[in-house]
Amino acid sequence: MAWNKRDDQPNAPEPAPTAPRPMSSAPSAPVTSSPNPSPEPRRSGDRATIGASIIIKGDLSGGEDLVIEGRVEGKVDLKQHNVTVGRNGRVKADVFGKVITIEGEVDGNVFAQEQAILRQAGAIRGNITAPRVILEDGSRFKGSIDMEVKDSGSRHGSDRPQSPQAVETKQQAGEPAGASRAAQAG
Amino acid sequence: MSWFSRSRRESAPAVAQADPPEVYKSLGLSALLESMRRKGQGLRILDLGSAVGSNVEFLSELGCKLHIGDLYASRSTAVEGEELGQEFFEQLFPADAKLDVVLAWDLFNYLQRKEMARLGVLLRRHCRPGALIFALMWSQKQIPAQPIRFRIQEKGHLVYERRTELERPGPRYVPAEISGLLKGFRVDRSFLLRHGIQEYLFIRDDEEDETRAI
Repeated sequence: MAWNKRDDQPNAPEPAPTAPRPMSSAPSAPVTSSPNPSPEPRRSGDRATIGASIIIKGDLSGGEDLVIEGRVEGKVDLKQHNVTVGRNGRVKADVFGKVITIEGEVDGNVFAQEQAILRQAGAIRGNITAPRVILEDGSRFKGSIDMEVKDSGSRHGSDRPQSPQAVETKQQAGEPAGASRAAQAG
Repeated sequence: MSWFSRSRRESAPAVAQADPPEVYKSLGLSALLESMRRKGQGLRILDLGSAVGSNVEFLSELGCKLHIGDLYASRSTAVEGEELGQEFFEQLFPADAKLDVVLAWDLFNYLQRKEMARLGVLLRRHCRPGALIFALMWSQKQIPAQPIRFRIQEKGHLVYERRTELERPGPRYVPAEISGLLKGFRVDRSFLLRHGIQEYLFIRDDEEDETRAI
């Protein structure tokens, strides 16, 4: 019996159907939207939102925080600002930001100046480079994790360095009580 | 099916975890960690299992560089029942680095012998001489239907998080057979635990040793 057969997962419910995503037929167009074309991302305070029906193909940069609920293919370059890929967000691009939070899907590399957070529903296929990485249980990740601070030179000698480099984990309800203490060993 | 669509399914709540958690002392893990500390920082590690945040934290604090292969999720995207080829296994490895440690957990139990041999060839190619593979082999007739998720605990303990209550027949590899499938590696240490798991530390032979063996 194959280990990945469906009947191996009798208790696993089918995933909730996701809303159909619009497809762009004009690859050269930088922004494709439907059904209500909107050339400007929605703004909420100092935060812009790319809505679920928006498809962007090309490089994306700017001067405010960004929430991506739509689809982006290209490059997201907001090094001085926070980037959130929301639950509906699908990003096929390298993402640069200060604090990068992934709740949707990223197929590309993530470069966070301060912190990268992969939420429970999030998935990254690519490498993460950040001084601090949080992988929540249930999240999916495939790639390398680089938490080295390139210009800091050396790490502390003890088993538990006092450097800012760290990974945090957040447990789901009902997980083994002692599991998170794993991080305290060393 | 893409890796991402699989990931959505995997995020669904699985089997209820035992309370208290299933925790076992791992002599193999203790030996591995001791060896890693001796070797120092900057080790390159391939974790063939899925990403577990606390494991990532633990290993990163030892100054290791970690690559997550996620064989389980990757396998789930392959055509069901089809034998996994060289290309499939290639994509589990980082492209640009020789490895010092491979965490195989219990995944070898879920590969066919031919698949094990293919993976073995790649492990030899991607590992430095002296590299260690940590593997857990079931010695029982029935094993969990899906690989267990292992969470590293302090003082060399492992939390076993089962994904399913279902079981399937185990391969019951004998040590000589595993060594034959992992050419270029030999058993460095092995520990048979009371709950039916045999823990192995395989070590990559030096190139000279290999030449002599040929």
